[in-house]
Amino acid sequence: MTTERCREWRESLGAHALGQLPEEERAALEAHLAGCPECRAELEALAGVARLLPLADREHFDTAPTPPLSLGDRVATAIRGEQRALRRRRLRLGLAFSGATAAVAAAVLAIFVLPGGSGAGPEQRVAFGSLPPGLHIGATLEPHAFGTEIHMYVKGAPSGTLCRVFLRGPDGARMPAGSFRYRWGDDADAVLSAALDLSRTQAIGVQVGNRTFVAPVESSDTA
Amino acid sequence: MPPGALSRERDVREAYAAHAGELYGFAVRSLGDSGLAEEAVQEAFLRAWRAGARFDPQLGSLRTWLFAILRNVVIDLGRARASRPIVAEGGIEPTVEPFEEALLSWQVEEAMRRIGEQHRRVLVETYYRGRPYAEVAKELGVPEGTVKSRVYYGLRALRVALEEIGYDD
Repeated sequence: MTTERCREWRESLGAHALGQLPEEERAALEAHLAGCPECRAELEALAGVARLLPLADREHFDTAPTPPLSLGDRVATAIRGEQRALRRRRLRLGLAFSGATAAVAAAVLAIFVLPGGSGAGPEQRVAFGSLPPGLHIGATLEPHAFGTEIHMYVKGAPSGTLCRVFLRGPDGARMPAGSFRYRWGDDADAVLSAALDLSRTQAIGVQVGNRTFVAPVESSDTA
Repeated sequence: MPPGALSRERDVREAYAAHAGELYGFAVRSLGDSGLAEEAVQEAFLRAWRAGARFDPQLGSLRTWLFAILRNVVIDLGRARASRPIVAEGGIEPTVEPFEEALLSWQVEEAMRRIGEQHRRVLVETYYRGRPYAEVAKELGVPEGTVKSRVYYGLRALRVALEEIGYDD
């Protein structure tokens, strides 16, 4: 078994692995293989590949399907949606556990964990009445030294709809509270704020697309 | 969190740019439907992002990890599509076997796309079309010995390409 002799036979090994060698050539190659462990090992490696060939469909050899360009954007959007939801859940947990007293924590939990509860704290849940079928809007208002924090929930508008939120003061003037876009599949609240004390707030409004919905707020000034 | 973990949105974008093509190609091959394949790839990257902190590049390549996630997604989609009731305890999982087969088919096809045109051509003509070497040699305008030599180097190249894309015999 010399390298020179092997080189002579090597290039027949592929054809042999695929069962394509003419009879006489095959017999001669097998005689060489019997005395050459290197060529036998090489044949074994090629035969391993040859065994896989029937699994492939040659219709698929020329082009691989490519994902549509928009798929990358959809992946990014899905991840951003989850990121937002995650941040808000963390914010809620933060609010719940950073409170100095158990009472504060309990009040906050009453709003966020038990949305049906009336809550002993100063937060207010606001109901929007007479909405078109399929549209749901809810808000929770929380007093702060800077004004009012608003957690707003919208569901059922076309995805991507711009929502602008405002509070209405005692004189009827609007105080803008910011905007957000409603996205399908994102059930997280939008967190907004306005520089108007909750105690002086008469109503909260949201413009969803081209329609505006207003809900009264129980003002402690007038109560 | 290990370095290289897939925890930021940017990491996922980079992983997508590097591997989405292959993952999608495989998903189409195994699901037989481009819409389902898009769904599978999106879900795989979402799961990868959720579990991103657990990815450790020291334990294996990102590519292998993403394929393992996609494998689970494809199996879940297969289960969801199967109208038959859940297999009884001790029964054979109906979707795993076709999955491994689809993965092998895709790996061989992907390897074929990666080797040189000359090598692919002789393998297609002699093996898949079953044409005689003499005929192929004449058509290509080369000696018969060259066809035989290309078959040999083609199989070797295929083996290397298969290893590159994670085939493990």
